[in-house]
Amino acid sequence: MATETTTRARLRWGLLDAVVVVFALIPVLWIASLSFKTPATLTDGKFIPREWTLENYRTIFATDQFVRALVNSIGIALIATLIAVVLGAMAAYAIARLDFPGKKLLVGVSLLIAMFPQVSLVSPLFEIERQVGLFDTWPGLILPHITFALPLAIYTLSAFFKQIPWDLEKAAKMDGATQGQAFRRVIAPLAAPGLFTTAILVFIFCWNDFLFAITLTSTERARTVPVALSFFTGASQFEDPTGAICAAAVVITVPIILFVLFFQRRIVSGLTSGAVKG
Amino acid sequence: MAEIVLDKVSKRFPDGTDAVRDVDLEIADGEFVILVGPSGCGKSTTLNMIAGLEDISSGELRIGGQRVNDKAPRDRDIAMVFQSYALYPNMTVRENMAFPLRLQKLDRETINSKVEEAAKVLELTPLLDRKPANLSGGQRQRVAMGRAIVRQPKAFLMDEPLSNLDAKLRVQMRTVVSRLQKQLGTTTVYVTHDQTEAMTLGDRVVIMRGGQVQQVGPPQELYDHPRNLFVAGFIGSPSMNFLHAAVEEGKLRTALGDVPVGDRLRRELEAADAPRELILGVRPEHFEDAELVDAETRQRGLEFEAPVEIVESMGSDKYVYLTVEGERASAAELEELAADAGAADLTGGGANLVTRLSAESSVTEGENRRVWFNLEKIHLFDPANGRNLTLHEGRAAGALAS
Repeated sequence: MATETTTRARLRWGLLDAVVVVFALIPVLWIASLSFKTPATLTDGKFIPREWTLENYRTIFATDQFVRALVNSIGIALIATLIAVVLGAMAAYAIARLDFPGKKLLVGVSLLIAMFPQVSLVSPLFEIERQVGLFDTWPGLILPHITFALPLAIYTLSAFFKQIPWDLEKAAKMDGATQGQAFRRVIAPLAAPGLFTTAILVFIFCWNDFLFAITLTSTERARTVPVALSFFTGASQFEDPTGAICAAAVVITVPIILFVLFFQRRIVSGLTSGAVKG
Repeated sequence: MAEIVLDKVSKRFPDGTDAVRDVDLEIADGEFVILVGPSGCGKSTTLNMIAGLEDISSGELRIGGQRVNDKAPRDRDIAMVFQSYALYPNMTVRENMAFPLRLQKLDRETINSKVEEAAKVLELTPLLDRKPANLSGGQRQRVAMGRAIVRQPKAFLMDEPLSNLDAKLRVQMRTVVSRLQKQLGTTTVYVTHDQTEAMTLGDRVVIMRGGQVQQVGPPQELYDHPRNLFVAGFIGSPSMNFLHAAVEEGKLRTALGDVPVGDRLRRELEAADAPRELILGVRPEHFEDAELVDAETRQRGLEFEAPVEIVESMGSDKYVYLTVEGERASAAELEELAADAGAADLTGGGANLVTRLSAESSVTEGENRRVWFNLEKIHLFDPANGRNLTLHEGRAAGALAS
């Protein structure tokens, strides 16, 4: 009886999982499939390409605009992520551990920023950045990215910091650690999963951003991949760029997947188990 | 190793609550002192102030003759065992125990030998390479103690270290703690809310209530000569019986009969501001089955008859619960104690007496039994301030003392 129900439950869950995975992955796989097709077979409606080709990939890497955009994207997203996570960690640590005046205000304001529709800020940002000379530069994109990623970072990180028992920090102090040593050797290793989770979320946010990237850039100097994609024209003007766009889409999905896979090993839940009773 | 002196130490929190008020305490070198009291009495705050985890609002704290008020915990050279153990989950047992030594920048060999030695004392050697998550509660507790003893600090502070263990393990660990402290001879301050731990472990016990020290002394002295109602009710298990007593014509009218008073007490009760109502306190073991009391002993006590409600046979003796008519004793201290025991809402009619009679007693449930109690051992308290009136120069002498 018991085994029967578990088998059935497993079947039901397996089916449900399969539906979700298929639903999420079909479009991605379709794009991957398109990127390997020749222009002639592009519209044949077959999932498995009849003729495999790497021509599309050759095309995009041959054009300077895509490579430049890729470099811009990676650079801007990494720098923004790094700064947002470091600042966010400090703010979140203070929010989780200290009772300082204006704490509620800080949390409220950061929530407000997260809720603010980005599109309403685009025009003022455009004007400001042109005035101060940040328009079409890396910092010109990094700054708004940080602004919008910080609330996210603060929220996720403070939740993680709150989970770490305060006794551990006290114990470290009693064992002879300074505040800094306690943070570095005890708290930070335990908060690592939180830091990586936040880093991934922020990185994806920066990487996928289209709105800021298209309004605050005008040349290859700071244009990121999502924007470059929209300007794609293929090898020649008379060619249909669908294959190339798909190839580019696959290329920009890969870093995200690598990023997540790389850090996922470090996101081990229950890392704090055994610290305190329970 | 060093003595710890608290000189009028107080703690006031920013929200205005006085957690600890003017605590004076001298803990001698190598002494094992227990801070005990109900929750919220300020015992943990006091410990945290000694540790340096809480600031001292006023007063002075000296460790080894040196004022340490403004020193960080790491500069005080004291180790602490936390109620939650607070083991570092990302480190193995060995790394946990080595952590304080590594912070002292000792060389690898010294660290290793010290860790191995401490592990041997606590029988942790086979567990050294495990992570805390893979240890049982008792093992984690031992690792926490190992981390404290490994660097041979001036003093140990323990914050309810055994309260997370199950009852059987707690008794076992109690002897481990006791043996360890004697072996190392390190000054130890131990916080607990468990009066059994307080009685069995310490050289001296400090009873706290509402941020103030009620009484300090060796366990037996607190038990025999409680300074006030709170101490009397807190120490002892089962706890002391309290009954209402009215002062009438040089006698005390109680539910157990009229209790005569000796000259000294009479003089005190004749004073103009003397209380007209008292609380009579009798410990369970000072009752006896009247049949088993010889004539000579009978003289020193009083007999009464009461219906027997429940008999619990413990083998060595019998706990007999008697119902007596009459008013319940009431005082702020008693209510606080009841609340701490979680029994504040258990108010039956009349009063229940817990008595501890000899195993030979033939008492049975439901019958009316004649029971004797020792007048030399009773205590009388002033309900207004809780003071023990039978106490003379620190010794309790019963009601008859002249």
